Amino acid sequence: MKITVRRSGGIAAMTRVWSVNAVSADDKERWMPLVEACPWEEAKALSRTANQPDRFMYSIRAGQRRATLPDREVTGPWEELVESAKAEGSESRGQR
Amino acid sequence: MLRRLATRPEPRLRAIARAAKESLLHIKGLQAARALPVPAPPPSARQAKPGPPQRTIFDAASTETLPGTLVRKEGMPPVGDAAADEAYDGLGDTHTLYADVFERNSIDGAGLKLDATVHFGKLYDNAFWDGHQMVFGDGDGEIFQRFTRSLSVIGHELAHGVTQYTAGLAYRNQAGALNESMSDVFGVLVEQYARKQSASEANWLIGEGLFTDAVQGAALRSLKAPGTAYDDDVLGKDPQPDSMDSYVRTTADNGGVHINSGIPNRAFYLVASELGGNAWEAPGHIWYGTLTSGSLPAACTFGKFARTTIATAEELFGSGSPEHDAVLKAWETVKVKV
Repeated sequence: MKITVRRSGGIAAMTRVWSVNAVSADDKERWMPLVEACPWEEAKALSRTANQPDRFMYSIRAGQRRATLPDREVTGPWEELVESAKAEGSESRGQR
Repeated sequence: MLRRLATRPEPRLRAIARAAKESLLHIKGLQAARALPVPAPPPSARQAKPGPPQRTIFDAASTETLPGTLVRKEGMPPVGDAAADEAYDGLGDTHTLYADVFERNSIDGAGLKLDATVHFGKLYDNAFWDGHQMVFGDGDGEIFQRFTRSLSVIGHELAHGVTQYTAGLAYRNQAGALNESMSDVFGVLVEQYARKQSASEANWLIGEGLFTDAVQGAALRSLKAPGTAYDDDVLGKDPQPDSMDSYVRTTADNGGVHINSGIPNRAFYLVASELGGNAWEAPGHIWYGTLTSGSLPAACTFGKFARTTIATAEELFGSGSPEHDAVLKAWETVKVKV
């Protein structure tokens, strides 16, 4: 399963992308609970909510699941997933 | 009558013309205030002359909890923390521009207290306006230094507040890019007014000094030459277009609000460059008059905004005036259809 966290926006508007490829059994055991803990269905309602000026936008993918969240909604299990991907994933600069 | 007086070119009538322009702007400000998208302050407060700023700086101590611990209030001496003292001074410079040049009493026009939080989050690479206050991160130290280092960034954030209390431009697509452009325009005006720099002396940059030495770049954005602020092996190249020919369609960044803002940003620079002198004078009054005209819809397009700047220039300076012509020419150069 591939997990991708794409952060766009911010006053600098520089997109950063962190990716994790959870292939081995150990990786899946580590990442699946983090992914499963996130309220993906609830996030659909948040994707079009107005963002505050200059705040980051996060587009998160895990396998077939997708969510787009304003910075201030990245809390609880989302925060844990995003921070883990930032800390352990490989980073690339995103295309705008 | 005020409009006629405002356009009088005779030197002996200069003071009267200036007073007429100021009265027109005041009227427009009041009209805009009636169309506020947020609860309006009482009329008595709205009409008040600009008072001194009421600043309060808080420290989030690397958490994301707002506002944090109070570290400096209005009138207190510097506390020795660079971020807190830069934020305090930057709030003061921003308040001064609006009070001196536009006779605006703080962000809401009614003396809103100016709050800012510094040291927000861990290695937080951003600064933002949360609808009530300003928030500054310390940067990651690898790409960005602390965000209070740039006065244009402080002016940028507070201008989001002014837009919120006036035109209420939606933060998405072209309206969002206009919202961003308003912040860049008034952000550079805060810096230029504080430094007393004319249009030709100013750097026209947003966020000069934010990058670490490791980054190949001068700043986050350039109003003078969008797309040239940085070109770095790791960060890539500044993605801003400088005309509608290279308008960027994207879903990222709320529809490219920080990207396509390059187009109206350059239009403002072109007006200031064409007219010469200080950008906060005629160009600033045309843009401020447009923002507070009450005629910009929340979902404003570049075309609607451009037409409103043209109408404002005509109203303040007269049809066929150098100011009116400069605005027409600027939009033509950036290829926004009016």
